[in-house]
Amino acid sequence: MSGLATTRADELTAAAAAPPARGRVALRRLGRRKGSIVGIAGLAVVASVAAFAPLISPYEPLAQDITNTLAPPVWAEGGSLEHVLGTDSLGRDVATRLAYGARNSLAISVAAALIGSLLGLITGLVAGFFGGWVDSVLMRLGDMQLAFPFILLAVVILGVIAERTVLHLILVLGVPGWIVYARVVRSRVLAEREKEYVTAARAVGASGPRTLFRYVLPSVWQVIPVIAMLDLGFLVIVESTLSFLGFGLTPPTPSWGSTLAEGRQFLVVSPWLPVLPGLAIMFTVLSINLTADGLADVVDPRLTKGSFRRQMLRLPSRYNRDRGDDQPLLRVRDLAVEFPLGERVVRAVRGISFDLERGQTVGIVGESGSGKSVTALAIIQLLDAPGRVTGGEILLDGQDLTRIDRKAMAALRGRRIGMIFQNPASSLNPVLTIGFQLTETIRTQLRLPQEKAESMARDALLSVGIGNAEHILRRYPFELSGGMNQRVMIAMAMAGRPDLLIADEPTTALDVTTQAQVLEQLRDVTRASDTSLILITHDIALVAEYADAILVMYAGQVCEAGPAETVIRDPKHPYTRALLDSLPRADTPSGARLQAIPGELPDPTIVPRGCPFAPRCPCVLDISWEINPELVEVGPGQTAACHLWTPDEARGAAR
Amino acid sequence: MLGQALRRTAQMTLVVFGVVTLVFFVLRLAAGDPARLLNQPGTPETIVQQVRERLGTDRPLLVQYGHYLADLARGDLGVSFHGGQSVRDAVLEALPNTAALALVTIVVASTIALALGIAAALRPNGLVDRSVLVYVAVAQATPAFWLAVVLVLVFSINLRWLPAIDLTGPKSFVLPVATLVITLTPVLIRTVRQSFLETLSEDHVRAARARGLPERRVLLVHGLKAAALPLVTLIGLQAGFILAGSYVVEFVFNWPGIGKLTLDALASRNFPMIQGGVLVAAVAFVLVNFVVDLVYAALDPRIRLRAS
Repeated sequence: MSGLATTRADELTAAAAAPPARGRVALRRLGRRKGSIVGIAGLAVVASVAAFAPLISPYEPLAQDITNTLAPPVWAEGGSLEHVLGTDSLGRDVATRLAYGARNSLAISVAAALIGSLLGLITGLVAGFFGGWVDSVLMRLGDMQLAFPFILLAVVILGVIAERTVLHLILVLGVPGWIVYARVVRSRVLAEREKEYVTAARAVGASGPRTLFRYVLPSVWQVIPVIAMLDLGFLVIVESTLSFLGFGLTPPTPSWGSTLAEGRQFLVVSPWLPVLPGLAIMFTVLSINLTADGLADVVDPRLTKGSFRRQMLRLPSRYNRDRGDDQPLLRVRDLAVEFPLGERVVRAVRGISFDLERGQTVGIVGESGSGKSVTALAIIQLLDAPGRVTGGEILLDGQDLTRIDRKAMAALRGRRIGMIFQNPASSLNPVLTIGFQLTETIRTQLRLPQEKAESMARDALLSVGIGNAEHILRRYPFELSGGMNQRVMIAMAMAGRPDLLIADEPTTALDVTTQAQVLEQLRDVTRASDTSLILITHDIALVAEYADAILVMYAGQVCEAGPAETVIRDPKHPYTRALLDSLPRADTPSGARLQAIPGELPDPTIVPRGCPFAPRCPCVLDISWEINPELVEVGPGQTAACHLWTPDEARGAAR
Repeated sequence: MLGQALRRTAQMTLVVFGVVTLVFFVLRLAAGDPARLLNQPGTPETIVQQVRERLGTDRPLLVQYGHYLADLARGDLGVSFHGGQSVRDAVLEALPNTAALALVTIVVASTIALALGIAAALRPNGLVDRSVLVYVAVAQATPAFWLAVVLVLVFSINLRWLPAIDLTGPKSFVLPVATLVITLTPVLIRTVRQSFLETLSEDHVRAARARGLPERRVLLVHGLKAAALPLVTLIGLQAGFILAGSYVVEFVFNWPGIGKLTLDALASRNFPMIQGGVLVAAVAFVLVNFVVDLVYAALDPRIRLRAS
């Protein structure tokens, strides 16, 4: 089996969870790629030539004409329309032999692919349904076969059979392919069983094989043709290679490989003889592979990923730059971030504004999906494609980060803006040591020689409370605990003494006992160097403890902001109140249920007409469904976006 | 660690044993009577019988198999049916030629795959990416034997730059290696491109950028190592492909290696020589996969340190 078919089959196995496309969606996806249309057309041409070879060929494939040997094709000197592609050394018409060759090559390859897929389908279903020892025996057998130099055996088996028939070739080519199909089918069966467990939540015995068949077969039917197509392209090449080596169909039966091998004897006088069959093979295999790519796209569009490039919109500046001394370190104004998703657009952040003073800590709070992490990534300009800033400004000391070029931004990262992420283990390169990564960071940011950087790396670890620095520097990330890795991340982020540090859920992935230690470390190091901190979390209690100011986000907007102490003590927005009510408190009677917020975040691709929180709000007003409230001042330094507090409604509100 | 090494050795021995056993029986059950093939048609039965006795093919199949295994255990691969040359000598003479061809091919193909795969991944859908993907699609569809013939036609017959057949010096490597490299690179490039793209979207690459590392360093230090790992695995997976490719290439270029030796022996039903060729190929196959696993472990600390 070819490496390509195997690797592609593995990709498809991984895609098993994707919902299969059907009908018009499938056709549209197929048509989206010009390549697949060309491939299908090419395949149709080859297939019709093969099917109608006896009708379209002017001669018999074995008819010899000793008086007219090695005639050149029509475009060469001395060529004639009588033999469009010339004749071979026995005076046989080359065009005729190629057409019949297509017939043989395709028939053998298609039959071999069918046999392989059928065997694989059966063994895959059996292995998936029965599981247990049946499964392990079959899969072990497959592994052994993959570790077996099968091509060797194929050559020997075909090489020693004196009278090779079509059946011999089909079996030798087709049977070894079973394992690739079997693996995919098996994994789909297992995936369906898994779903059964979750949705029906009943014992395995309760769902009979018939139900599984009904669910598994449709998704299997989607994948098998793709693998079979990939397999087919490979089989056409192997079949012609065997014929070329003299192990294919016994001569004089025409096949592309043997025609090429015969023609090779006359390479000098008639170069077209070996060249033409090769072009026929290439055309066929190229058509097959293009079709296979198109089919794979139908099954799982993720396999053919589009552009990954960071996109940046150039926006007209709508704001007067205030370069006075009272300017804050960071000023975000009307920031909007969007992710185009096919025909829809996810509006992740919809016009948020806030200021952050030097040395201050602001906590951004919200549920997952509220836009808080996207805001952070927009500030450091590391949004995942296709996300992009579509409006607003991010001013760092008056410099708009949405408008500076890539290189200048890279120079700011680490030295002026640092960031630490939610999952410390995956945020460090798994195959490089802590020491390498820390030293590399210090060298880049402070432009120091290696030795100096190494001693600074030790100091950096000490500063985040890692005592045995020498030992830790030689370790790989996977050898350290999550808390330890996050301390390393903090040390790295702080190595360049940035003015602004963004911590995106820095303790969510850690266990409770280390959370407080890491947060205190974070507070200590930022205080020591007068670094401003943006602390992003879904846990409003953390903000109360560690932040000076608070920003509550909901559905990509700010719903309440103000000094942390004020907002926590006297929340004005019903959402902030709900967040606080969902916390356990000292005065909560034990046994009393904590208040969970009912409902879910709105669909981020649809801009709601009124207040985005209206569907979940306990104090919803009629106007909430009509108009999205603006942020209004509700106390000293405190703002909230709620109709309960908008001036017109405030009087009528029941507060 | 020791248990793992033992299990691995046992597994490799089993694969090689399986291959030689299968080939032994396939040859004797399906290949006809080599004694008849060695003589002109119409040779009296008594003389054919004498030849059989000389070759040892007159004895019962299991007895022959037993003798074969006993000889094999002593390192004796038997003698050729034609001319009585020692199979071991013939195989040992051919082996370095094939090994050199495969080694040069792997080095050149990996280098090209890394360069083109990464260049393509840096700007997906860019000009370079599109060109590389066109090359991949075309090379994927190109049969090695045809490519070999076309290369000979262009560079040996028309331009007279390079030798068409035989191993006569460094120049002889160019066309066979080019053939193998062009047919091997498509799947390698695809994998490098894919894994590089995946690496670039990983958390640790974003974190490296967030630390302010220059883009070049992010790509070449942090991206490359992670992207090179799948390539190593793939070389092992492609060992069978390289083996098959070298059969074709040795056949076309008359390269004095294991592939040509085996194909010649097949044509003349020279059982001991076929068995010798297949044995060496099977051993090479499992050894390549073994070395690949070692290299992988050396490159990936997660595997290296967990094993010990």
